[in-house]
Amino acid sequence: MESSFKLGPAIILVIVLIAFIGIGVGHKAKDQDDYWAAGRGIGRIGAGAAIASNWMSAASFLGMAGLLYLKGYFALAYVIGWTGGYVMLLVLMAGQIRRFGKYTAADFIGDRFESQAARLIAALTAIIISLTYAIGQYKGIAMMFQWVFGMPYATSVIVGTAVVLAYIIIAGMLGATKNMQFQYCIIITAFIFPLIFIAKKLGYFYLIPEIGYGSAVWDLGHKFAGVTTAAGDSLENLKYVQPWGIGSTYKWIALCFTLMVGTAGLPHVLSRFYVVPNTRDARWSVVWGLFFIGLLYWSSPAYAAFARVQNAIAGVQPVKALADAIVVTAAENAGLPQWFCGYLAAGAISAAFSTVSGLLLAAGGAVSHDIYYRIVNPNASESSRMMVSKVAVFGLGLIVIIFALKPFALIAQIVAMAFAIAGNTIFPTFLLGIWWSRSNKQGCIAGMLVGLFLTAFFFFWGKGNSHWLAQLIPFTSSSLILMPVALFTNIIVSSMTPPPSKEIRKFLCEQVHGIEFD
Amino acid sequence: MSEDRYHINIFKPNGEFQKTEISYIWLILAIWGIATYGFQILLRIVQRNPQGESFLTDMNFLGFPFHYWFTGQFLIILFILLCIWFNIMIDGLEDRMGKGDVA
Repeated sequence: MESSFKLGPAIILVIVLIAFIGIGVGHKAKDQDDYWAAGRGIGRIGAGAAIASNWMSAASFLGMAGLLYLKGYFALAYVIGWTGGYVMLLVLMAGQIRRFGKYTAADFIGDRFESQAARLIAALTAIIISLTYAIGQYKGIAMMFQWVFGMPYATSVIVGTAVVLAYIIIAGMLGATKNMQFQYCIIITAFIFPLIFIAKKLGYFYLIPEIGYGSAVWDLGHKFAGVTTAAGDSLENLKYVQPWGIGSTYKWIALCFTLMVGTAGLPHVLSRFYVVPNTRDARWSVVWGLFFIGLLYWSSPAYAAFARVQNAIAGVQPVKALADAIVVTAAENAGLPQWFCGYLAAGAISAAFSTVSGLLLAAGGAVSHDIYYRIVNPNASESSRMMVSKVAVFGLGLIVIIFALKPFALIAQIVAMAFAIAGNTIFPTFLLGIWWSRSNKQGCIAGMLVGLFLTAFFFFWGKGNSHWLAQLIPFTSSSLILMPVALFTNIIVSSMTPPPSKEIRKFLCEQVHGIEFD
Repeated sequence: MSEDRYHINIFKPNGEFQKTEISYIWLILAIWGIATYGFQILLRIVQRNPQGESFLTDMNFLGFPFHYWFTGQFLIILFILLCIWFNIMIDGLEDRMGKGDVA
């Protein structure tokens, strides 16, 4: 990874970015409904590609391969957490959320629990989650800008955000949705093809490198098992393959569970269900989305294993600092032509951009729709809501820049916190909101506040703490304990206070669950 | 009485449709949970050393150590199949009960 200006990759990157904006401009948002729901005419496969593109971030594209490169089997908890969460989302919520018919997570919570306070807390939580998660994308963006243009971190953060903002504000969500399918194509082709090249170079089965890397993992556990490194024996090849060589069973399960409930509670994931015409399409779009996400997640462990084998053959030690760039370095080491490495970098940037734009839109929606329109000024005209939304997206973009320039923790930890917050606040509230009609506003508010407070507490107190409680509730994997805590807080407080109105329970039965009473 | 019937509880299904729907949900979640977490616990139970080595890690499958293949590749395939199966079951249930999809 040298950081000098590279012409070929730079040209490819610029072409891809111009294409994004060009496609966005071709599909201007006509009104608020169009802006949010993007016409509702994109079909199951299209909606699935949008789910996948919205989902696949720099963390998926670069960070996951980096973690797998360092932590082997332990890091498979990320792969499984980030895919398994969709199963839970589908069976427990997808159809019901679609039938409830609200645009944002806060809208759902405010209407279901008949409380403006709950709406406000949910909106603020959604904004915190979106911003934290967006900040997490900048390491990836900066690393790729650095590799292509030789730009320093600060410049890439500002340039990258400027491009994202310009694109969102010009095109709105209709552009974004169309764009998302295009972005998905760029992301997945950029990710998958270099693998074939790398596998062939190393002499593994290369037609389907997602299967071929199995032998690479096997070799790491046998042929190269003895390679011990001065860098610390956690980087030993044998431990890479062993189930608990790096993290304990409990840590694996806690992490995986946190990522699963976090996935099913991320506001920008939940709001994807409104862009499909009906519940059946909403359900099937999850299948397509999961398949498209799976293509990437089957491939990440392959990059990681091949990179470790490259290291073992070259007799060099795995380097922690290089982990996040491992996808590009593995391709470079295998002698992939530089222009294709540029395409790979463009894929990584697309992944980060599509996620950042989805997040900023979700956060902007929380400000303009949930806070401004539903709480502050219910008589607001369409154009003033549009205006507030654009101003909000812009303002939030600036906040992201400020935090991204000076992150308050490691980027991977910041992303993990976004998942823990989503899993400990939004997820239990949605679960009970849909599946327990007795849950009321007091329970909802108490549950969300307890979830928020405890997540923040264990994040800042538990980090690097050896106290037994901090071991039981790992700061980035707190949901295994805290999600049930928030859930039971909601249940207990709801039981002690009056039940929700008959109207909302009727709506829940007839509309959301489709029960027909005779 | 008329007020009483508006209740939803995942443990107390309201009506025939929901009873079947919820049985599907539990079925899928059970397979999902056992495959994901049960397998990790199984690895732990059969391990011969604290790093988790066992016959499951010694076995070669498609070139992989078996446990790595199961978690890294098979679970995602299983997740997709579970989602497809769930959707087919629910589609069938909706068709049988005449619950047309409302846009």
